[in-house]
Amino acid sequence: MISVQLFFISFFGLAAVWFAVVVFRTHSMMRSALALLFSQTALGAMFIGMQAEFLGVLQIMMMATEMSIMAIFMVMFMMDPGGLGKMDMTHQKRLSVIAGLVAFVAVVVVAVFADWGPLASSVPDAAQQIEDLGLELLGRSMLIFETAGLTILTAMIAATAVAVEPIKRNRD
Amino acid sequence: MTTALILLLLAVGAYLVAVIEAWTTSGRWRLTAPITAGIALLGRESIVPRKSDRVFFEVAPVLLLISALIAATVLPLTPDLIITDLATGALFINAALVYVLVALLMAGWGPDGAYAMIGGWRFLGQLIAYAMLIVMPVTAVAMRAESLLTTQIVASQADLWNILYQPLGFVLFFVAAMALAFLPPFDLTTANSELAGGVEAEYSGVRLAVFRLGRLVLVITLATTTVVFYLGGWQGPWLPPWAWSAIKILAVTALMLLAGRALPRIREADLLNLCWKLGIPLALLNIFVVGLLILVWP
Repeated sequence: MISVQLFFISFFGLAAVWFAVVVFRTHSMMRSALALLFSQTALGAMFIGMQAEFLGVLQIMMMATEMSIMAIFMVMFMMDPGGLGKMDMTHQKRLSVIAGLVAFVAVVVVAVFADWGPLASSVPDAAQQIEDLGLELLGRSMLIFETAGLTILTAMIAATAVAVEPIKRNRD
Repeated sequence: MTTALILLLLAVGAYLVAVIEAWTTSGRWRLTAPITAGIALLGRESIVPRKSDRVFFEVAPVLLLISALIAATVLPLTPDLIITDLATGALFINAALVYVLVALLMAGWGPDGAYAMIGGWRFLGQLIAYAMLIVMPVTAVAMRAESLLTTQIVASQADLWNILYQPLGFVLFFVAAMALAFLPPFDLTTANSELAGGVEAEYSGVRLAVFRLGRLVLVITLATTTVVFYLGGWQGPWLPPWAWSAIKILAVTALMLLAGRALPRIREADLLNLCWKLGIPLALLNIFVVGLLILVWP
């Protein structure tokens, strides 16, 4: 059982990395955005593989909308959205490479050397997980989540207010 | 075994959707029409447009079909006839059906055609409009069932179907489901009269056949979802469970296909206005009312 689980987690992990590489290899903004989506979908599948069903399904659902919306913005704002002009849209390559390597090493160091506490011997079943999550959201973590929600709502209203054309009051 | 049976039933369902759709447009019952149309499509050349994004162009019709099929895996037709009863079932349906959007964006972008592209992006706007009206009524349904298990949702309607318990939610969900399946008057993404087929415009032959099949399966999946969430699923007197499921699903399908026939195609901006300024407040009201109802009369 554990080996099947391990196989799927590794498979989707590799898929996530591969799609993440595609994001930067392609010239097309649309391919780039959707490759990022499938990278995130693979992460969602990894969550499901790790028996965090709710988290996985949520990830798979949310990312599809988010990355599609990102795609239209990339197409709108980039100079060569189709990538047919073979335009190089990257810059500061050396800095990016160094920053990427440093971040990778940092993540590996944290993953290997951090004290993750004792391993959970058993996982509650999926329905129980959802119930626990609901109680958590309406209990101890309520303040954090409500604050985050309110902040996002404020940002949304502010963004809309900035984006809409002001009403011309003095028509005459 | 269950999987094979459900796939077979979905195929039969998709066929019946095609027959009903032909009836709603032409007013005649032609039981062989889907077969002849299918043969005609398969017999035709399947053209690949120049400078197309080949990956998207090929993947889009298949992804549309697969997302509709995957959503159907958590829908129970009888207490035992379900492929997988996921603990996150009601959420999982949404997760699978969001990929309809991804498929249509691919189909819009892939062929490098103006009509297709407009059709594809239009569906993104359409999703912004309908998405909340799918999720929020489902929240109220899950509240009553106290579970996301689809079988549990059906069981929670033993005394009173959700269509009567939360009629507002049903109306919102039904309209949003029609928008998700891009049925008239929400067929902005295909819009035969203005976009010459929109996302379908550049497809032909076998690829178009797969695309159309995906859409038919999407309609039957959404009709089944409506039945499971609001019409008590397989429940009903005298007849066996599978018969009740079949009758209800076909009735909802016919209603979905008929409802928009007499209406003019809605404008994108009007759809967004309607959904956000009227639909979402109503959906919030629905959640609130259902919350009160659960407290006083579970």
